[in-house]
Amino acid sequence: MSRAAAARPSRQINRTTIIYATIAVLAIAAIVAVALANRVPKAAQTVNPSTTLAVGDTAPEFTANTNAGAFDLASVSSPVFLEVFATWCPHCQHEVPIVDELAKKYAGKVAFVGVTGSPYGIDGSSPENQADVSAWVDKLNVTYPVAFDPNLTVANTYLQGGYPTLVLIGKNKKIAMITSGEIPVAQLEKSIDGLLSSGS
Amino acid sequence: MNVLVLVLRIALGLTFVVAGGLKIGHADIFASQIAGFELLPQPLIAPLALLLPFVEVLVGAYLIVGLFTRAAAVAAAILLAVFDGAIALAVVRGLHASCGCFGPSDQTTTSWGEVARDAAIVIVALIIAWRAPGAIALDRRMEQRHE
Repeated sequence: MSRAAAARPSRQINRTTIIYATIAVLAIAAIVAVALANRVPKAAQTVNPSTTLAVGDTAPEFTANTNAGAFDLASVSSPVFLEVFATWCPHCQHEVPIVDELAKKYAGKVAFVGVTGSPYGIDGSSPENQADVSAWVDKLNVTYPVAFDPNLTVANTYLQGGYPTLVLIGKNKKIAMITSGEIPVAQLEKSIDGLLSSGS
Repeated sequence: MNVLVLVLRIALGLTFVVAGGLKIGHADIFASQIAGFELLPQPLIAPLALLLPFVEVLVGAYLIVGLFTRAAAVAAAILLAVFDGAIALAVVRGLHASCGCFGPSDQTTTSWGEVARDAAIVIVALIIAWRAPGAIALDRRMEQRHE
């Protein structure tokens, strides 16, 4: 038997084995993925409403019952910083210290308010409730007013696809900034400073 | 040309390994990013969020070591073309979807720039598939052993 002929079966076995191993790994991964699918929070699989609001639009009126009392956009004379968040959302957790820092820095100049915007609670699957929101405030030491919105009225009006949605509204009730995700503090400060310096 | 294919193979392979690796363990966030594209029915979103990162790592690893290079490059091109189509559709529909390309901390939103970037990477994958396997590839060593 030639050396080439002797090597051929070994090569075929190696390649065939690797192909079968690849198919087996993918098949097992697919089965595990289907089996574990119910562990992914329902909130993460839900398409969020996405508003068509844009910078320059008039901010729709909203009210919210916060842990610091009633909030009514129409009756606030200063600019407003609105955060629409979800208690299950990790991006929102990361953004809280930033918004909190801004709320302290701009106290008396800008009114900050957070409003829940997801039908799902802190575990991402069961319905959102006031206890989840209170736990959120305690756990993250949120100092700005936060409201549980069971009807998702604010979210249906302001949510821009993702959590948190951050909205800056001028004294003239025009939207000066509307964005979503983890936004760096410097970017938010720039927007707020720009709005305050414009006087609107 | 073999050296160029090697460089492209490693670059694309590392991109896939990093992109997939960053998503493993973050199925919830990746699922929400997939949902944001508003393309797939809900029952498919969670299994895909769990499976896709492992597929990306596997394809990337094969590209890096040059094993089944042509098949891996074609698989990479197909995956990238699907991602690119999804991003393009999101841009056309005016969605502010998170790209989700590189894990939970990737906050890049869908844009024509992202579409162009993915299209360029599809071309890279097709070049690799065309001139596979390139230098220092397990495919080549297997061929040499055969000869």
